[in-house]
Amino acid sequence: MSDKSRSGGSLVCGRRAMLQGTALGLVTTAFFHFPAASVSEAADAEYVYRPVFFSSDEWRTLSSFVDRLIPADAEGPGAIEAHVPEFIDRQMNTPYGHGSEWYLRPPLMKTSATLGYQLLFTPRDIYKQGLPALNGAIMQRYGRLFHQLDASERDQVIGQMEKGTLTLSPISSKLLFGQILKNCKEGYFADPIHGGNYKMEAWKMIGFPGARADFTDWVDRYGARYPLPPVSVGGHAVQGGV
Amino acid sequence: MKRRLLPVLAGAICVLQSSGAYADNADLIKRGAYVAVLGDCEACHTAHDGKYLAGGLALQSPLGAIYSTNITPDRNTGIGTWSYDDFVRLMRRGIRKDGSSVYPAMPYPSYSKMTDEDLQALYAYLTQGVAPVSLKNRAPDIPWLLSARWPLAIWRLLFAPSPAPPLPSASYDETPDALVERGRYLVEGPGHCGSCHTPRNLVLAEKAQTATDGPKYLSGGFIVDNWVAPSLRSDDVGGLVGWTSEDIVAFLKTGRNRYGATFGAMNGVIAHSTSLTNDHDLAAIAAFLKTLGPPPGVSVETFRYDDAVSRQLFAGKMPSEGAKIYVDRCAACHRTDGRGYPGVFPPLAGNPVLQGPDATSAAHIILSGGRLPGVSAAPSSLVMGSYREVLDDQQIADLVTFLGQSWGNHGAAMTAPQVAKIRQATTDERRPAGD
Amino acid sequence: MVSRSEKHTDVVIVGFGWVGAIMARELTQAGLNVVALERGPRRDTWPQGAYPSSIDELTHNTRHALFLQPSQSTVTVRHRESDVAAPYRQLAAFLPGTGVGGAGLHWSGCHWRISPAELRLRSHYEERYGKDFIPQDMTIQDWGVSYEELEPHFAFAESVFGTSGQAYKVNGKIVGDGNPFDADRSTPFPLPAMKNTYSAELYSKAAAECGYHPFRIPSANASQAYTNPYGCQMGACTFCGFCSGYACYNYSKASPNVNIFPALERESRFELRAECDVLKVETDSSGKKATGVIYRTSKGEEVRQTADIVILASFAYNNPYLLLLSRIGQPYDPKTGEGTVGRNFVYQNESGVTLFFGQDKFTNPFIGAGGNGVAIDDFNADNFDHGPLGFVGGAPIWVNQAGSKPISSATVPKGTPQWGAHWKKAVKDNFQHTISIHAHGTNMAFRDCYLSLDPTYSDTAGRPLLRITFNWHDNDVKMIRYVTDRMADIGRAMKPESMSIETKEFGEEFDLRHYQTTHIAGGAIMGTSPKDSVVNRYLQHWEVPNLFVIGSSAFPQGIGYNPTGTVAALAYWSAKAIRERYLKSPGPMVQA
Repeated sequence: MSDKSRSGGSLVCGRRAMLQGTALGLVTTAFFHFPAASVSEAADAEYVYRPVFFSSDEWRTLSSFVDRLIPADAEGPGAIEAHVPEFIDRQMNTPYGHGSEWYLRPPLMKTSATLGYQLLFTPRDIYKQGLPALNGAIMQRYGRLFHQLDASERDQVIGQMEKGTLTLSPISSKLLFGQILKNCKEGYFADPIHGGNYKMEAWKMIGFPGARADFTDWVDRYGARYPLPPVSVGGHAVQGGV
Repeated sequence: MKRRLLPVLAGAICVLQSSGAYADNADLIKRGAYVAVLGDCEACHTAHDGKYLAGGLALQSPLGAIYSTNITPDRNTGIGTWSYDDFVRLMRRGIRKDGSSVYPAMPYPSYSKMTDEDLQALYAYLTQGVAPVSLKNRAPDIPWLLSARWPLAIWRLLFAPSPAPPLPSASYDETPDALVERGRYLVEGPGHCGSCHTPRNLVLAEKAQTATDGPKYLSGGFIVDNWVAPSLRSDDVGGLVGWTSEDIVAFLKTGRNRYGATFGAMNGVIAHSTSLTNDHDLAAIAAFLKTLGPPPGVSVETFRYDDAVSRQLFAGKMPSEGAKIYVDRCAACHRTDGRGYPGVFPPLAGNPVLQGPDATSAAHIILSGGRLPGVSAAPSSLVMGSYREVLDDQQIADLVTFLGQSWGNHGAAMTAPQVAKIRQATTDERRPAGD
Repeated sequence: MVSRSEKHTDVVIVGFGWVGAIMARELTQAGLNVVALERGPRRDTWPQGAYPSSIDELTHNTRHALFLQPSQSTVTVRHRESDVAAPYRQLAAFLPGTGVGGAGLHWSGCHWRISPAELRLRSHYEERYGKDFIPQDMTIQDWGVSYEELEPHFAFAESVFGTSGQAYKVNGKIVGDGNPFDADRSTPFPLPAMKNTYSAELYSKAAAECGYHPFRIPSANASQAYTNPYGCQMGACTFCGFCSGYACYNYSKASPNVNIFPALERESRFELRAECDVLKVETDSSGKKATGVIYRTSKGEEVRQTADIVILASFAYNNPYLLLLSRIGQPYDPKTGEGTVGRNFVYQNESGVTLFFGQDKFTNPFIGAGGNGVAIDDFNADNFDHGPLGFVGGAPIWVNQAGSKPISSATVPKGTPQWGAHWKKAVKDNFQHTISIHAHGTNMAFRDCYLSLDPTYSDTAGRPLLRITFNWHDNDVKMIRYVTDRMADIGRAMKPESMSIETKEFGEEFDLRHYQTTHIAGGAIMGTSPKDSVVNRYLQHWEVPNLFVIGSSAFPQGIGYNPTGTVAALAYWSAKAIRERYLKSPGPMVQA
């Protein structure tokens, strides 16, 4: 299985990837740059990630999209601070991204929606074909790219995609919206070994203790607030000093 | 590996049944198979995934690896042409058929105490009860000047000057004295427990060969493959004080008891030797080990549980960095009170491994994890995973220091550079040790 | 093309989950040589369950690391005979297992027996409510085995699983505050019941206030360290919350891997071959004797394994699937009602209520265990009067706090947007303050719900996929709506700030997009006559007496409880019949 998240080696890879990211950062700090205030400020100014799967256009679109799905505010981290785009980029290079877990043999049947997904697109296809289609449609309507829209404009577009009222092809806006939303929440709440949930801030916000795996002392302390901070599968390499 | 002995025994029994004329010999071979278990020949003479007793296992020495030899009855590469006298000379004096001396890894100073009956049975088993395997012995990876065998002869003369006389052995008398004497025979003789559990001097000779040589005997501290062999004496909390004979028997038979579980280098001993040893002999070993204590009337320090740390951890208050890591990563199995789940997940409170001056074993098992051998009396091969990638050197140092100071333990503190050394030395251990 | 044959063996077992492990253990103990063939890879507590890497929701729950991926093999589904079936392309509604241990490696651990009435469901309803009570198209029937016959096997399975629970009645004597609707037991549970979570404690009080009879769910998550009759050891459950979908890291959830395999592995008469996918069961020219199986190795090689006894022990619908592929028995035809293979395909029927308590009440839903909790049985089986209600079946209702993880269980009140600042705040405000109650109920068998081979789709080995024709019927919607109302009453008695209710609507289609349960059953059912069942009361094939088909595939209809306990008891019951009767005189143990 080439999904590194499933092997013990992932932790080393994770660390190495971070180091490489830092080194590459010297030459790629300007790899993507948001117009001022259009996207939540990343909490960590040092953080640079060079996407492997997404092009710079796709990356900008994706980043400015997830920034609205989970915006930064006083409640807790936004998707950008949680490194959700990095998570999604890394997922695209796992078997999941390639759709190799799904049954993708033809023919296609026109059926009731209740029978579930009946297309042959992989997650990579959905992004690679969906994000440019989204930008094309937005350019036509607004004369700008998606990431150049202000927050309320983006919210409006996303709302239309959620309802399926924005027409996109070949990836429907509903399919693209669903894919990004699903992956965004995964990246926000998955263990940091997968690249998102940076420093476990999303877990801290909701009070999830992560990979502790032991509540023997707490199961029958009825009503007590669990006091210990979360821990990550990755331990010292990814936990961010907690 | 664990099932290898069974077909051999079954074969011996077949011989027994097929022809009455060979019944005596078959019985001898069967007894020899049991002596091979007592002597744990397999531990060294069978390589990982190698053929039974065909040698080739690398044994690390400070000078380089040496390789165990082929002791199957193959005529060209094994001991097929050895006479009984050749065999006895090796077992009693460490001299091979060709006149050369063996490395002291071969515990002939212990084997020299074996009775003629046991050696005859073992010879019969090795030459007639084991399948011949053609596998050439491998030369040691020791630079040629150092690999000369003549210094070994000097070593032999100095430290194993004359073969100890055979000990009285196979008494199945149930009197306590007879039990102790049988245990002494098994421990000092074929069991060669002192090879690991007695400290060695600068030239690698055991500081005591027998119980009568004094309190260094089986007092622990020797480091084998980055595991510290614990004391088997009852002199202080780092040894078996507090263990009953039943605890010792349970440990040897199943690799686990209410105080702890086997790990590291002892795993193979449990799997290939003590778990296959009969209950009478295990009781004898326990009875003898329990005599290795202070003289009657002298009190020794026993472990006393202190609940200060467990009360803090239960309250969610972490007294140290090590405590935090313990609660994050260890307490699920070993509990915040350090009492574990006896027989399943070892208690750390009072664990002999956490009392001594050298915490190498604790750091090693945290780095590499461990796998209990599954044996017939306890088939579950429980695994503790590796924390090599989860914890850094400082965290492991903090953790080991915490373990040594909590719940009443009297263990050593550890520093990050010390952990780094053990990490480096065990870097190839990518599967739980014992796996 | 078969490229080679393996040495003949006494018994070949297809699938190495709970049933495979139990049968292998029982039959090697009887002196037989046993080969078990498992489609998936070797798996064990280490490394699949190793802490901390197993405590990873994304890998295990979201990406289904331990499950059978549809790309390897899947099914097609349609709601009715007139529809064209479409493939189940992404895992969602149910999650078939694979690999050594099967779904038994990563199940929850709810370990139930069965209500005696459910074992003779048709007779029981006809006797109590009259013959007309059961709708015409409802094809429910009796199992052919009684609770009294299965009882010793339930008891032994519990001792093997290390089941924690509180008995109500042992040998006719009331012994504690267990389930008063339980049938008599011959032994108490091997371990005391687990501790209650706060949620279960609150539910227990509220249910009692409503006049019901709460009890602690029997759980194969060990409440204490345990050694079973095979010498296999378990740790004690830590309430880590990573059970369903995960291999337990500390040996405290019963699995074939933890509770049977260590002993079996030492048997020289036993051989396990992983990554061997059985393609078909072969029979001799008479069709009355199975000669063995053909399987495909991970290298694509096709191998013949002959055996005197063939045991199908694969996942629920794969047992009938193999029969269909092997052309053993007559496939079921819903038009005529004739044929038996694929008949009475059933599922389970669920609903839920989520309570939101606000930020002052910490319910800590991340603390939990798969089999932990408190249930009431007042509306399960025939523990209540169905006469005026007009439906067959029921459901236990429970708080089974299995451990909420944020990707899958960031529950928010109804009406909350799916994204944006409001969603985020809702997750933050509710994550530590919710309690879920579930009804986990029966699904009755109907004439038009069945299994067959798909005419269009195939898998990587070229096999036609199995086709499921299934939809909800009014009986089951009535049942779950009735039970949901009772559940909501208890929910209100727990005094939440708000509550959301998930139930079924009449006419609602079976929806594959959301997880419901993997408790699939039927298709190769047991019974009293070869006309309406595939196997007899000993799980022996009616027409091919050296073929045994064991698992939830044998359930004639969906039961109220989780199926594993009943599956295990049926396996021990069948093994006993093979050991004590079949081996002495191989042939049909029941005359047709």
